[in-house]
Amino acid sequence: MKQIAGLPIDRIDGRAKVTGAAKYTADTDIPGVLHGVLVLSTIARGKITSIDTGRAKSAPGVVDVFTHLNTPRLTLLPFFPYTRGFIPMQDEIINHDGQPVAIVVAQTLEQAQYASTLVDVRYSQEVPKAVLGQVAGTEYVPDPALGEPNEFTRGDVTSAAADVKIDANYSSPTHHHNPIETSASLAVWQDGKLTAYETAQGIQFSRGVLAYSLGVQPTDVRVRTAYLGGGFGSKSVVLPHTLLTAAIARVLGQPLKVVLTRAAMYTSTGHRSEFRQRVALGATKDGKLTSLIQTTTQQASRTDEVTYNPTRSARMLYAVPNLQVRQQVAALDRPGAGFTRSPETAAHFGLETAMDELAYAVGVDPLELRLRNYAEVDPETRQPFTSRYLRDCYRMAANAFGWSRRSMKPGSTRDGQEFIGWGMATEAHSSLAFPSSALVQMNVDGTVLAQSSTQEIGTGTLTVMTQAVAEIMGTTVDAVTFQLGDSDLPAASWSAASATVKSVVAALDKAGKAVRDNVIKLAVADARSPLSGLAVDQVEAEHGHLFATGDRSRRDSYLDVMSRHGNVVATTAQTPSTPGYTTGAVFVEVRIDPRSGRVRVTRAVGAYDPGRVMNRKTARSQVIGGITWGIGFALMEQTVVDQRTARIVNPNLSGYLIPVNADVPDIQALFVDKPDPGSPALGARGFGEVPITGVPAAIGNAVFHATGRRIRDLPITQDKLL
Amino acid sequence: MPSRRTVLQAGGATVVTALGPPGPAAAEAPAREIALKVNGEVHKVAVEPRVTLLDALRERMNLTGAKKGCDRGECGACTVLADGRRIKSCLTLAVMREGEEITTIEGLASGDRLHPVQEAFIRQDAFQCGMCTPGQIMSAVAVIQEGHAGSPDEIREWMSGNLCRCACYPNIVAAVRDAAR
Repeated sequence: MKQIAGLPIDRIDGRAKVTGAAKYTADTDIPGVLHGVLVLSTIARGKITSIDTGRAKSAPGVVDVFTHLNTPRLTLLPFFPYTRGFIPMQDEIINHDGQPVAIVVAQTLEQAQYASTLVDVRYSQEVPKAVLGQVAGTEYVPDPALGEPNEFTRGDVTSAAADVKIDANYSSPTHHHNPIETSASLAVWQDGKLTAYETAQGIQFSRGVLAYSLGVQPTDVRVRTAYLGGGFGSKSVVLPHTLLTAAIARVLGQPLKVVLTRAAMYTSTGHRSEFRQRVALGATKDGKLTSLIQTTTQQASRTDEVTYNPTRSARMLYAVPNLQVRQQVAALDRPGAGFTRSPETAAHFGLETAMDELAYAVGVDPLELRLRNYAEVDPETRQPFTSRYLRDCYRMAANAFGWSRRSMKPGSTRDGQEFIGWGMATEAHSSLAFPSSALVQMNVDGTVLAQSSTQEIGTGTLTVMTQAVAEIMGTTVDAVTFQLGDSDLPAASWSAASATVKSVVAALDKAGKAVRDNVIKLAVADARSPLSGLAVDQVEAEHGHLFATGDRSRRDSYLDVMSRHGNVVATTAQTPSTPGYTTGAVFVEVRIDPRSGRVRVTRAVGAYDPGRVMNRKTARSQVIGGITWGIGFALMEQTVVDQRTARIVNPNLSGYLIPVNADVPDIQALFVDKPDPGSPALGARGFGEVPITGVPAAIGNAVFHATGRRIRDLPITQDKLL
Repeated sequence: MPSRRTVLQAGGATVVTALGPPGPAAAEAPAREIALKVNGEVHKVAVEPRVTLLDALRERMNLTGAKKGCDRGECGACTVLADGRRIKSCLTLAVMREGEEITTIEGLASGDRLHPVQEAFIRQDAFQCGMCTPGQIMSAVAVIQEGHAGSPDEIREWMSGNLCRCACYPNIVAAVRDAAR
């Protein structure tokens, strides 16, 4: 079979994206659409005592103003995928800063923006809890959420012998996703049916929660997300503004558009929780792990206690006989946290920094230490992995980086004034698959239509799925049309948890093979076909042609078979959830100016084992993106919360620093690229979240190597090195 | 590179908005019909003085290529060209731009033929989600025009006013290098 998946083809939506033709949610042109602007609470805990909308209502162009007093009542779905635990504007209670307290609807955006400043809200306020440091001692282990236990034990950590012990605390601040596209909802009702243009990483989730909360049938709700301008978890669960927009559009009887401001994104779409952790390692004097204790604390809110940042690396990464993992939360008067790109990174930073500390404690090279603790089998199940080439990743990345030239001694490499440090870490993340379905249809002209209600979040879903269908069917990329982003298409799961490729390709493979075989059956049963009389498994498909195996002169084509047949051939297939785990390794170089404490990442090399690579061009871009997020995590990103008011001090892109072009060096991305026989998706595993995971620790380890200073509290800002 | 004159013009805009009441938009003032020349075509639109160029393009002309990522000049997704200079269209008022040649991402290609920068962005995979891309491309066109595309480091520096959260920066640098050749 001709290999099409894996080729570095250009993005199929590239032309639309470079010409401005790609329409994102807020770009949707609906004649007569009204504009809604949110008014957000300015306190973090308390009650609304009065709300005066008189001036706003009489401002020019204002259609109406909605508050908790006149907003339609919505039914709360008390569990995933609506994780907030309450719906705002249903009562007077304020659970967090930036909670919607009113929506002003006007004819134009400017009218709604101006009138929103005229709503006068009065509160009675209680003293809020803003940061984990204020609630020390109140930590608890919540009930399992999303099917995962919060406590996990293997062996017995208390009786494990150890020659060397590492026991340290690590921390990282709140992070915000900051996709360039802010969240938007555009609701259009017609004849009791809703079309919602959404910024959603899971349009079927939006559909389900909208139907439930509004009290309509799911079949009466259609959710569309043609393009998504980044999500990173901020658009993964269903959010209050989506429900409020649809409810208000229904009572107004007119289409309504609500686009969140950048500032509103900091309180409306979740965040990566402030995170504290203790990691305690026990090891033999040659660095073999005997025990691992990891206790993490993340933020809950008063209405939500999901642990969004799992401690998976401790359980999966190394062969350690005695293990104790405990995931705690402590409640704050803050918006509920949420999934943020590569949620396992927060805990992974502690583990991979502790491993570097252990390497220095026993005097073993950090890479060698990881090889000595290599997990030959799945540490949880003790079963062999269906495929794991992490050892190859270490070797490939180390060689490309030149790691063998590293002198172990901290502070030993200088270039003029600058200190140079080299650090490394293992990269790893769960890569799940969720039940998803897809339709594959061969048309009468031999072209192929494939559909699945997945989302194009920017990872290259449209392109990769088109390639996958071409390969499965044995036809060309040009002959395939793949459609997504519409909840009326066969149901697929969300674009999150690195799940899309494995979920959707698996469904396409199942449906596509059935269609291919059915078309071949038509050929071999047809006396007019040169393939007449062959068994189905004696025919191969390639480039839109059908060949007799071993005799390429006997050939037919999809076009000819289908035009003789005269009807489309179609199948819809579904695949189940499957677990998965993907690994890699990253090596970085930092240069530090000792006068200013400024750290710059000057080189990064990552090598990965994602099973089969589906498109080398888009996969490389995922690596670049992930490593860059890791640079932000390590060196600059932090949401600053005022400790007295529990309000965010920097809800914007000038106070919340994300990496800019000048912060990012050339990044080398390497792939093992061997299919995983355990994957139902052409041998591919989930991958997108892996490349960020090890980077914060690798940078911290490089900073230690450069300076001898171990920074256990992120981000590593200049003041911490002076 | 902004000249002293353009800086002064921008300063004037700040003074105008500072006179209004606080908040995201000034109070309503009578709309006035203006003629904006966008992508070589004259659009007559009725706008109040408080309407930004970005909102005039997006909400009144259905030119949604320029994106609103922050509405305060931090992200660069709204970058367009005004008389060949790159500006952030969220930080300028539509009424101030009468008589200037505005170029948006929709006006860059000649018919079906893409601009070399657009082609280079596709070839180098210089975008993922595509939300910052119109701004990146408009900025890249100007960077080359300004003579700031001489080396990768120079490109990194002069393209740093356009944020990309998918973080395609090395590919953006490669695309600008390609197109500048």
